[in-house]
Amino acid sequence: MSSAQVLSEDQRDCMQEIVNVAMGQAGDNLARYLETFIHLSVPKIRLVNSCEFIPEISRLVDGAEYISAVRQGFYPVQGTSQIRGEAIVVFGDSSFHDLADLLAYEGELSAQDEVELLLEVSNILNSACLSGLGEQMEIDLGFSPPSVIGQHVRVESIVTEEELSWSKALFVEIKYTLESKSFNCSLLLMMPGVAIQAVKEKLDHLLDGF
Amino acid sequence: MTIPLLICDDSNMARKQVNRSLPEGWDIDITFAANGLEGIEAIRKGKGEMVFLDLTMPEMDGYEVLKLVKEESHKSVIIVISADIQPEARERVIGLGALDFIKKPVNPEKLSGVLSKYGLL
Repeated sequence: MSSAQVLSEDQRDCMQEIVNVAMGQAGDNLARYLETFIHLSVPKIRLVNSCEFIPEISRLVDGAEYISAVRQGFYPVQGTSQIRGEAIVVFGDSSFHDLADLLAYEGELSAQDEVELLLEVSNILNSACLSGLGEQMEIDLGFSPPSVIGQHVRVESIVTEEELSWSKALFVEIKYTLESKSFNCSLLLMMPGVAIQAVKEKLDHLLDGF
Repeated sequence: MTIPLLICDDSNMARKQVNRSLPEGWDIDITFAANGLEGIEAIRKGKGEMVFLDLTMPEMDGYEVLKLVKEESHKSVIIVISADIQPEARERVIGLGALDFIKKPVNPEKLSGVLSKYGLL
C-alpha cells in the first residue's frame, strides 16, 4: 500500500470524530424507529485492498454465513469535490430475524416485506449519516437510489473481486448494536480511488481551521 | 480559586474543540485524558473537579467513568459532551450523576450556555 495514501494520525482522528457525530445522528434515528436504545461503538477507519473486501464484510457480521445487504452511492451534488463512494448496510441473517421481531412483524416475512424492511432501515441509517458527514465536511451530498445486493446470500457471493472497480478504498465502519437482542448491523462507507486523496485534502483543510 | 478541569475524549480533535470552547479568562488548570481509564485516574488525583466527558471511548467508556465516580464518591461536576444524541443516552448519564449533556459538535455558545445555567461561570 503506498504510504502517500495512508491517513496521518491527525487525519484519521479528524475523520473519526466527524463520523462519530454523523453516526450519532443516524443512531438516534434508528433508535426512534426501533423504539429501543442503540449502543454505539468507536468507528473504525482504514485503507483496504479490494481482495480484503469479502473478509472485511465477513468480520463486520461477526462471521455470519448468510447476510443481506443494501448499497447506495453518494456523490457531491455541486462543486468539483472528488469525495464520493458507496454506503453499504449489512445485516447478518440472525440479526435480520431479530429486526423483524423488534418491529413486531407477525408470522413469516415475505421476500417483498423483507426487501422493504432492508431498504427502510438502510435509508434511515444512510440519510442521517451521509447528511451529517456532508454537513461537517462542507459538501452537499446526493444519493443514488438504494439497491439490495444480497438477500440471505453467502458473504462471498455479494460481490466478486472483478466487480469491484477499485483496488484500494477508504473504509469507515460503523456498528450499531442493541442491548436487548443480539441484533447488530453495520454501515460501511467505502470511498475508493481518487476519493481517498480528496478526503485527505478535505481533512487537512478542516484541521487547518483548528 | 483555580478549578482543576479535566477534558476526557478519545479524539484529539474533540479535546481541542472543547478546549477552544471554554470561556475566556476562566481560572482553570486543564488536564486531558484520551479514554475513560485515563480519565478516572486523573479524577482520583484530584484533577477533575470539573469534567467534560465523552461517552463512546475505547478502554473505558463515559458511562463506566460516571459509575466509578459515583461508587468512589468523588465530588466532580461532570458535563457529558457526546455525539450520542439518543434521549435515553441523556437520561442515562443524568441518572448516573452527570450535571448536563451537550450534543457534539461543541462550540463556545453551547458550553457557556450550560455553564451559566448552573452558575458555574
